Amino acid sequence: MNLTPVLTVIGVAAIAWAAVTSETSIQKPARADGRVVVTYWEKWSDFEFDAMRAVVNEFNNSQDKIFVEVLSVPNITQKTLLATSGGIPPDIAGLFGGNVAQYAYNNAVIPLDEFAAEAGINRDQYIPAYYDFCTYRGQLWCLPATPASTALHYNVDMLKAAGFDEPPKTLEDLDAMDKVIGRKDGDSLKSMGFLPTEPGWWPFAWPGFFGGKLWDGETKITMATPENIRAYEWMGSYSQRYGSATVSSFQEGFGTFKSPQNAFMDSKVAAVLQGVWMHNFITTFKPELNYSAAPFPYPADRPELANSTVLDLDILVIPRGAKHPKEAFEFIKFVQSQKGMEMLCLGQKKNSPLAKTSPGFLENHPNPHIKLFQSLAFSENAIAPPKTPIWAQWGDEIRTATQSINSGSKTAEQAMKDVDAKMQPLLDKVIRRERALGIYPEKTSEDNN
Amino acid sequence: MNKPGHLTNQTKAGLLFAAPWLIGFAVFLLFPLLKAFYNSFTEYTILTPPVWIGFENFADIFRDELFWKSLGNTFYYAFIAVPVSTVIAISLAMLLNTKVKGQAFYRTFFFLPALVPAVPLAILWLWLFNGEAGIINAIIEPIFGIRPNWLGDVNLAKNILIVMSAWGVGHAMVIYLAGLQQVPIALYEAADLDGASPLRKTFQITIPMLSPVIMFNVVMAIIGSFQVFTQPYIMFPGGAPERSTYFYSVYIYDAAFRDNRMGYASAMGWIMFLIILVLTLTAIKFMDKKVHYESN
Amino acid sequence: MAKRTLSQQNLLSVGAIHLVLGLLSIVFLIPLVWMISTSFKTVEQASVFPPVWIPDPFMGGNYKEAWEYGKDQLGGVAPMLIYARNSLIVCILAVTGTVISNSIVAYSFARLKWPGRDLAFAITLATMMVPFPVLMVPLFGLFKDFGWVGTFRPLWIPAWFAGAFNIFLLRQFYRSIPMELSEAAKIDGCSEWGIYSKVILPLTKPALAVVALFSFMGTWNDFLAPLLYLQQQETWTLAIGLQAFRSQAGGAPIHLQMAASTMVVAPVIILFFFTQKQFIQGIATSGLKG
Repeated sequence: MNLTPVLTVIGVAAIAWAAVTSETSIQKPARADGRVVVTYWEKWSDFEFDAMRAVVNEFNNSQDKIFVEVLSVPNITQKTLLATSGGIPPDIAGLFGGNVAQYAYNNAVIPLDEFAAEAGINRDQYIPAYYDFCTYRGQLWCLPATPASTALHYNVDMLKAAGFDEPPKTLEDLDAMDKVIGRKDGDSLKSMGFLPTEPGWWPFAWPGFFGGKLWDGETKITMATPENIRAYEWMGSYSQRYGSATVSSFQEGFGTFKSPQNAFMDSKVAAVLQGVWMHNFITTFKPELNYSAAPFPYPADRPELANSTVLDLDILVIPRGAKHPKEAFEFIKFVQSQKGMEMLCLGQKKNSPLAKTSPGFLENHPNPHIKLFQSLAFSENAIAPPKTPIWAQWGDEIRTATQSINSGSKTAEQAMKDVDAKMQPLLDKVIRRERALGIYPEKTSEDNN
Repeated sequence: MNKPGHLTNQTKAGLLFAAPWLIGFAVFLLFPLLKAFYNSFTEYTILTPPVWIGFENFADIFRDELFWKSLGNTFYYAFIAVPVSTVIAISLAMLLNTKVKGQAFYRTFFFLPALVPAVPLAILWLWLFNGEAGIINAIIEPIFGIRPNWLGDVNLAKNILIVMSAWGVGHAMVIYLAGLQQVPIALYEAADLDGASPLRKTFQITIPMLSPVIMFNVVMAIIGSFQVFTQPYIMFPGGAPERSTYFYSVYIYDAAFRDNRMGYASAMGWIMFLIILVLTLTAIKFMDKKVHYESN
Repeated sequence: MAKRTLSQQNLLSVGAIHLVLGLLSIVFLIPLVWMISTSFKTVEQASVFPPVWIPDPFMGGNYKEAWEYGKDQLGGVAPMLIYARNSLIVCILAVTGTVISNSIVAYSFARLKWPGRDLAFAITLATMMVPFPVLMVPLFGLFKDFGWVGTFRPLWIPAWFAGAFNIFLLRQFYRSIPMELSEAAKIDGCSEWGIYSKVILPLTKPALAVVALFSFMGTWNDFLAPLLYLQQQETWTLAIGLQAFRSQAGGAPIHLQMAASTMVVAPVIILFFFTQKQFIQGIATSGLKG
């Protein structure tokens, strides 16, 4: 039997299918009801995404002109930048607070000042530290979605078993606790009291806990100050205590973050620096874990640094080239309302970025430690990433420097000097260009606030 | 028949048949290549028009420690992975060429790894070299009594990529095996009469006869390894540990699409192009001489 | 006596070769076996030390879990299904384009005479030295101007415009066909297109199969281009989807990573087993300069 005609038909059909599907599968049909479709890319997945989806549904049901279509887009920072560069940005993107300066500098987002003024949105309505994430060179580039503050999460049972009834108050207490709980079996670690690199999401923040600053906020990067060096020496002491290769192997054995095998949930590390969201993950993956949260410890000789916390903010931006900026802002405005914001924050079990909370918000909040996180957000010692377009590279250099310090290949001082030397020229270049464009005022408006 | 101003039928047909490539070459290759050359003298972000800055990008690049680091890593990889893989591939081919029974089976086994796409390849080897639960350490520990921290050690991490490339030599092996089968048996028979040892036969007959094939494939492999991207990008974010696995292509990608320094990235791209050009021409020249000399 | 020693020696060396080849086979296969083994384990068993080779219990359901991992984000459709469909779309279009365009162009370089042909061919060969990273940025800008970013077009349309490696490969085959065949057809009144499609093309099917195979492999494995051009999850190919398996939101557990990896590797290996002969011959030819 000659199969050639059959195969030819199959082949042609396959090609036709591929050609047609390659186009149809990416086209979005227009809505029959004539509503403007606003596309919204969000970084979240799972229950955090569900919470945002609920707010989107609420907005869509609240009016009949605009329809927001929310998509979960992993690796959002890169994907939004590529899409914006490629001329196909979404109308709204849910990015991270640390991205603002880079996006603004690169013309990748549009300023929201006029929209915000029209909607009566201003700084007074927010916890200042959160609002300030959104400004760069005197303009407003985003508005908050959900915020976060961080605290020491500790495993009550592990601490008790090691003889600690109270969480560590000072960093010296934390070190002492680690020395008791840290257990080595031959060449491999079984448990640690604390581990700076678990999860290690804010390697830039350690100086803040020691009163150090990464730069002068304007033109000069100052990584190699005594406070900063002290901070990174402290961080490195955890690797050196057990041997850096041992600690590194120990970490490779951790399960993925969102699983019961998470190092903290699996009782491998007794205490971690984590954000307000941690409660959500613990109740999902390890509800029986007996844990609590307390402000992150401070150096014993710097008691004024108590209540230091890393702040994080999820933000909403309108990328440049968005088709429906006006409609997009309508949704952003809805999220900024007391109702919309608290619905979102309750759904994601986080604190609120708004200066005032409705009665009952804190009392009925599902996170038992919410008052701690809410009060930390107002802390004088809040730590936020530097607002500069070179933050992606700078942050990467800091991460690399921490690897060198942990492995012992560089001293903290040397590593910090190297970061200074590498980053200062880049910052100089940015400022030179901003001066040329006239967008570098000698005094920026946020400094006056 | 061949009047000036008139194209012959063959010329017309020839150009028409070659048209897809002539267009593709102009649009997808020559134009971008020249555009990249222009961009390399500009500050450019795609979102803003290019601004001419002369040689500033190149001056910055040569002062950029990370550029040298990534270039060093890439050279290290290319100049260790390619020779190691080539030696392994030729050795395997020679073993298979002994015409033992089951040659086809062995060949299939050696070839299978070459089929594994880059992304699963990267994910798989991260898992194999995991310091805590990896199978490599499970094999090494009972024998050597050590448990190296492959992924976290500056001196070990980039060698993982070399091991991976050695694992995927199947492709090259098949080529060398075919090359070996083309070596005239008479040469070996003559050597046998002279009482030549197997080692001598290898270096006096096999390798010289194979040298044109080796040359071609080594050159292609070097060009390929200079562009290695997927594996390091997936396995070692940011070139961890301590940039020891930060490769040139990854840096270009980061500079262009993370930091929006498209002019800088274009300049780096052109430097890479020139390096490959020089290496390839050198290799061809060097190998040409060698090949001639040996076959005389 | 002397004869017997020789055959004993022979036997010994054959045995030694088998031993070496056998051991090496094991070394080459361990990673794949380990991948499959892990893919059937429970998450706890996946990370025990010393490792266990045979999964117990045997978790066949891992594959279903990996297939559907993260389906809530895609409106309940299994992400791997979408990725596989997208990979297939791109592969079919790219392979078709590669085969058609390269065979036409190679015909011109191999069997038609036109002024500048040899220079053009030399330049064609030289383009193999142009690394993709140098073209990456301008191509992105070009495809942006075409409005192709976010679609599959940047991944397959360029394939319809031939490429140096395949032109080179096919040219070797075309040149090995005697010119007399073409001349005879010409005398019979065939046009060049007629000669190409009726006389030469049928003779080059094996070579085209090789080009198709390579093109399929290249497209299936491609990571960088989809990474640049495909942003929304619904448009991802398997390579990008699999990477997200590792990096997205803290990453999927290792046993699911391995199950998903196995599912991406399997089609390639199956294809190999069905086309082994063409595959091996094709590689040999490509590396031997024809």
